[in-house]
Amino acid sequence: MVLLSVVAVGLSGCGGPPAANPAASGEGSVTETNCGIEVTVAEPPERIYALYQPAVETIHALGLSDRLVGTAFLDAQVVEPYGQAQARVPYVPDLPQREALLAANPDFVLAGYNNVFATSGNEAIGTRAELAELGVRTWINAPLCPSEDGLSDEAIDPAQVSMDTVYRDLNSLGRLLGARERADELVSELRAQVAAVQQRVAGKPKPKVAILLNDDDGSYRVASGIDFGSRVLEMAGAENAFGDLTGKRHVAVSKEELITRDPDVILTSTCCDASFTVADGEPDVRQIMSDPALSASTAVRRNQVYPFLFADRAAGVRAPRAAARVADLVHPE
Amino acid sequence: MKRRLVLRHGPLSARLDVRGLVLGAVVWLAAAALGFAAITIGQYPLPLRTVFDTLAGNGSVITYEIVVNERLPRALSGVLVGAAFGAAGAVLQRLARNPLVSPDVIGINAGASAGAVVMIVVVGAASAWVTAGALAGATVAAAGVYTIAWRRGFSGYRLVLVGIGVAAMFGSAATFLLSRADINAAYSAAEWMVGSLSGRSWPDVVPVAAGLGLLLPIVLASTRQLRVLELGDDLAHVLSPRIGRHRAAILAAAVGLSALATASAGPVGFVALVAPQIVRRILAERTPSLLTAAGTGALLVVTADLVARTAFAPRELPVGVLTALVGAPVLIGLLIRANRIGTSG
Amino acid sequence: MRGNRFALRSRATAPWAIPGAAALVVLAVVLSMKVGARPLSWAELSDGLLRFSGDRSDIVVRHVRLPRTVAGLVAGVCLGLSGAVAQGITRNPLAGPDTLGVNAGAAAAMIAVFAMPGLGALTGYVWFGFLGGALAALAVYAIGGSGRDGATPVKLALAGAAVSALLTAMTSAFILLDRDLFARYRYWIIGSLARADLITVGQAVPFAVAGMLIAVLLVRRLDAVALGEDTARGLGVRPGVTRGGGLVAVVVLAGTATAIAGPVAFVGLVAPHAARALAGTAHRWVLPLSALLSAALVLLADVAGRVVIAPEEVQIGVTAAVLGGPAFLYLVRTRKVAEL
Repeated sequence: MVLLSVVAVGLSGCGGPPAANPAASGEGSVTETNCGIEVTVAEPPERIYALYQPAVETIHALGLSDRLVGTAFLDAQVVEPYGQAQARVPYVPDLPQREALLAANPDFVLAGYNNVFATSGNEAIGTRAELAELGVRTWINAPLCPSEDGLSDEAIDPAQVSMDTVYRDLNSLGRLLGARERADELVSELRAQVAAVQQRVAGKPKPKVAILLNDDDGSYRVASGIDFGSRVLEMAGAENAFGDLTGKRHVAVSKEELITRDPDVILTSTCCDASFTVADGEPDVRQIMSDPALSASTAVRRNQVYPFLFADRAAGVRAPRAAARVADLVHPE
Repeated sequence: MKRRLVLRHGPLSARLDVRGLVLGAVVWLAAAALGFAAITIGQYPLPLRTVFDTLAGNGSVITYEIVVNERLPRALSGVLVGAAFGAAGAVLQRLARNPLVSPDVIGINAGASAGAVVMIVVVGAASAWVTAGALAGATVAAAGVYTIAWRRGFSGYRLVLVGIGVAAMFGSAATFLLSRADINAAYSAAEWMVGSLSGRSWPDVVPVAAGLGLLLPIVLASTRQLRVLELGDDLAHVLSPRIGRHRAAILAAAVGLSALATASAGPVGFVALVAPQIVRRILAERTPSLLTAAGTGALLVVTADLVARTAFAPRELPVGVLTALVGAPVLIGLLIRANRIGTSG
Repeated sequence: MRGNRFALRSRATAPWAIPGAAALVVLAVVLSMKVGARPLSWAELSDGLLRFSGDRSDIVVRHVRLPRTVAGLVAGVCLGLSGAVAQGITRNPLAGPDTLGVNAGAAAAMIAVFAMPGLGALTGYVWFGFLGGALAALAVYAIGGSGRDGATPVKLALAGAAVSALLTAMTSAFILLDRDLFARYRYWIIGSLARADLITVGQAVPFAVAGMLIAVLLVRRLDAVALGEDTARGLGVRPGVTRGGGLVAVVVLAGTATAIAGPVAFVGLVAPHAARALAGTAHRWVLPLSALLSAALVLLADVAGRVVIAPEEVQIGVTAAVLGGPAFLYLVRTRKVAEL
């Protein structure tokens, strides 16, 4: 075996790795920058693989559903009116392994979260540089850009976590993927939705809201200040009761802290199945409402614990509609 | 009645056991063949023709990447790691005159894996520090077990007893580290702690290749001293007064083989225990040849890895889970058998 | 010692050790009740416990601090006793419920529970862990006890390692194939008092009492067994039966602690060593001291975990190891570990 390998490597060494097609910067090629890395395509990619909910919905929203060769890992039902389009494309509930992804022969991979390009972790399919050498262009949802290729959540810049970054991202993607006009339209639509919500809640007092993740053993984690959920809350005229925490996107807090900060409204964080809707959050709500430690908190006493989807606090095309829903919940008047 | 072959060449002569030779050749060939066949198996379709084309330099970028940088080094790692564990296990079992003494049972692998996990969490999974951490951890564990178990001589069973405790402690330490790491690093580390060939490429082949290249010859050259040591401590000292030094060297070589194999693939469990036992059963002799045990180990690991990565497609299991699922019942069987015969205690 | 045929060395410090340890436990209880996100005053404590009026600090006292403190006490006592008995029956100073397969069995059972779809939160299913641990220990005893001379320390340890390895491999297979299971398992496998609730603790108390009774009945026999197989038989004690009884105690006690807080390692390992360092190897000192010292360790570890990176929490599985690990190393260096 050893001998065979030496021979094999020697042979291939003679041949050398085939030269990757360099994206020729020539006629018709487009270059955009994503997370500090330049992405160049000679012509709009035809075989797109979208990983995670925000990426999947972005591609549908840009009108490029027919170019999808694969989608993976939805947290909830795809936002309307794209449900039918999603039903027509290949879908896997878990992230594909590297080989399976390559077997689908994509030329463009859009990732809704940054861990797929991390250097470690079982969900990683390779760094962006490695994939570029194989001829696969990659893109990360801009608000979650790590400061360096190969890093993950710990390297997110909090200042980038905003709707403006989402708009910029959509425009860049539009240019790159040959959907410039549709991207402009989309951005206008989203801006209008956000403006409508903000008008509705202008001048009203901002309630404190906590987004809770129920862990199995009865303890809770909360969405922190660097999570996009905080921006959704702000658009809806509320503030994150735990917005001062910025270490990780989700932070495990003691019940005492929850009692002390006493949020006015509690939202759940229901996830991770392609069929989920808001109604699937009811068990989480019941668990919070029946927790004796929280029985005297404002949110529980006033019955202001609502089901909320994890997908609704992602940075993407859902955010304005999610903000509208939150606004209805926290400002019922 | 064993058939022996006597070879003479000038002043050198050697006696070889024919059945042992045949078995050795069979397992090594099988390991090599299966390893090569494994290159064609995976989620990216690669028929044999494409593999040959790629090796000849006519493949695409992607097939080159997969064949030369992923599947080939993975198969090679499997063979080398299995060989290293098999040899280390055979040596330790012969040294301790006890079939239950193997690097995973006596805590060396646990030490190596704890050291590596520390490095994964602190520095990152794809780094050379992981090897250093594994070696450091294995040395600490070996030293600890040795010191604690030594009491006016060696008892194989005391070694095992202490080793189990040390392994448990290192295992706890590693688990705690996992809980503090972020989920990506934690998953990597959890896979690593079980023993995995996933994602192994040429840099991971280096430690185990170095180990086999440097340490296996030392061990093979010491077969004479090993046979003396197998006679028992007192007799050994009479026959060869400086045997203590040799024992230390052989022990160090075996620990080193195990540690370097662990540095490459994590503590792939039970290979070191089971491979020599398989050889013993087939050849019906007490002292399995080291090379044959190594070959059996290689075959075990390559087979286990192939099953582990195809049986649950599209998901992959780490190879260590499979070797443990097979090896632990083997250990239990060995224990029950030893208990019935009355050779334990 | 008069009246005790099986006496082993007791150190001069022995009579002071138990009151001292008890005082430490009281201190730990007080700290556990008073310390937290917002330190509570004595008045608030007494209000919360005695005159419940529903305001914020009363809720914290009744529903957060009290369950944690009581759970910490019960779990700590169980962990210490199970560790001491385990070390006694295996004559292995590095032994504990994990080396006898109990923890691996509990983990495998819990993964089976997690993997079943549609089940809600953990409460109510924690007793599956107990069952899993018991079944694993049964297997260990059956394998280790086969053969003429019954369950000797070495055979038990080997059987424990083999059974643990098999169960751990099965558990790993599940969690490494399912990302969601992995995330849930990762939280459970580290013991934590944050999941403690008075209902489960209430259910646990009878089991804890049963385990303690068995341990008490075994005190003299454990001393005899510690002198060696033949000596024990000479003294009229049957080692196999003692070990069997001890295993039952270990399973019941460790299973109870796991049902309350999840698997907490290290506490059961360190406390008996500290007990032996303070009071010698006679089990009539070692058992109660282990119980008291580990209760104190668990509570103090919990307090530390609540304070050190507030408002985040570190679970006792981690803090107990951080506190207990160096203590154990110190004990190992200053006393010969191989002796029991």
